[in-house]
Amino acid sequence: MNVREALLQPGAHDRRRARTDTLMLRIFQVTAFLAVLPLFALVFYVTLRAIPWLGPSLLFHNPLDKEPGILNAIVGSLQMTGLAILITGPIGVAGGVYLSEFAPKRVASIGEFVIDIMLGIPSIVAGIFAFLVLVPLLGFSGWAGSAALSVLTLPIVMRTTQEVMRLVPPSIREASLALGVPVWRTTLYVTVRTALPGVLTGLVLAASRGLGETAPLLMTAHGTNAENFLDFGTTMNAMPIVIYQYANAADDRSIGQAWATALVLMALALALNVLVRWRTVNSRVA
Amino acid sequence: MVNMVDETTAAKGSKRLVANPAGGTHQEAPAQEELGLLALSEVQAFYGGFRAVNNVSLQLQPRAVTALIGPSGCGKSTLLRTINRMHETLPGATVSGSITLDGVDLYANEVDAVRVRRVIGMVFQKPNPFPTMSIYENVAAGLRLLGKTSKSEVEGVVEASLRRAALWDEVKDKLKQPGTSLSGGQQQRLCIARAIAVQPRVLLMDEPCSALDPVATLKIEELIRELAADYTIVIVTHNMQQASRVSDSTAFFSMDEQRAGYLVETGPTTTIFTSPKEALTESYVAGRFG
Repeated sequence: MNVREALLQPGAHDRRRARTDTLMLRIFQVTAFLAVLPLFALVFYVTLRAIPWLGPSLLFHNPLDKEPGILNAIVGSLQMTGLAILITGPIGVAGGVYLSEFAPKRVASIGEFVIDIMLGIPSIVAGIFAFLVLVPLLGFSGWAGSAALSVLTLPIVMRTTQEVMRLVPPSIREASLALGVPVWRTTLYVTVRTALPGVLTGLVLAASRGLGETAPLLMTAHGTNAENFLDFGTTMNAMPIVIYQYANAADDRSIGQAWATALVLMALALALNVLVRWRTVNSRVA
Repeated sequence: MVNMVDETTAAKGSKRLVANPAGGTHQEAPAQEELGLLALSEVQAFYGGFRAVNNVSLQLQPRAVTALIGPSGCGKSTLLRTINRMHETLPGATVSGSITLDGVDLYANEVDAVRVRRVIGMVFQKPNPFPTMSIYENVAAGLRLLGKTSKSEVEGVVEASLRRAALWDEVKDKLKQPGTSLSGGQQQRLCIARAIAVQPRVLLMDEPCSALDPVATLKIEELIRELAADYTIVIVTHNMQQASRVSDSTAFFSMDEQRAGYLVETGPTTTIFTSPKEALTESYVAGRFG
């Protein structure tokens, strides 16, 4: 068989291979489409149901106002998530830095194992812990809610920090050490600085997880109709609580407000994720 | 830092680092200006129980370039990293013997490794500018991270260092751009500028051209020759032509049966390359192995 024959006379085998190629491609396309379909359906449907109820009166009034709204839930969610990140941020980042930079191998692997377990804690478990341990101490309150959220967000912050610190090439640390820069300054101003976009990503991911948590908040912050700006000492409202309670109500208005709150919550979480994308793309480390 | 040698891993005959027996205070030549003479005496380096460098004694002359050559794995880089005490930053890595700079024992108890590294700068195999910093900030990094903040002072040092590293003309209009935006050769000169900005006495270079193209290599080599007027330069290289081009003295290393690197011979570069005493050296520089 000369080259001409070998190249120019396709047999049955070639045709079958071409058909298989096409078939497989189609299968992958369809499954990919099926995978994103529910997501788009969800976003579309939530938006559709929420739009009629969404407006300034909903966003800027409290439940007991003449035109009832969900302002206190938005404020409460941001407050409790914000406080949780204020607590877990420094602890989680410091812990992650320790595990990645200083911990002996043994300690680091035990630490990782513990964090992985913490990451796997179902939020209702954190909820019952908060309900039976924190609520008797702090009462149904924003404090208890923040504490419950902290338990859930800490491992996220710690784990991402550790991971991104590990991605910093050892040559960068060596460059700094070889300049005669002490280890602590090298860690702070070179290693952490280099990993900073990733560390911030971890914080934002943790915040978006905190925003969406429902079970532990139902059992701790409990929800309220009153205005609750910076009022951590008493019951506090949160968007997931509002969605849960209003969706169970009988009147159209409450159900509409549940949809609208869901849209606001989704938009906030989405905004956080976009923020992360934008930040990491704009400060990509070589 | 007190006990540099793990007793269980130290080979027989290696000893705790002790102050230079000649006395750390060069009383012999009190009037002599400090020049940057490095003296290695019976240096051994270990990775845990593995001895990577065996019993190296060597003098490295100031205002000259000494090349460390030898086949892969013969401990040249490890030896280099013992000089600025970077070796000990690796887990389980230890050193024995003595290394003095102008008579001061670098491993003495009262000498802090951080201080040693300010006096002995290092340039690495792959250019490693700080990725989050601009060209300017990279050169200023040493000063800033050590707490020097006077703006005009830092500015002056940055410009002088970039000029010294033959990079100023290429970067003076883009000092705010990231250091990583430069080409490989420029990045390496940036790293040299960063190293000399803290005003070291000695410059260690660990195969500084192995990641660069021939043109960039040539530039770095020219630069090394110029820097030799002011610094004690020690360069590890795999490239024998490079060693013969840039160095005044050459030290040839090989590996013994236990894979520990040892010094075969040392001398003026021309002698090592034309009429070495040892047959092993001759066959290496002739390209017959390694």
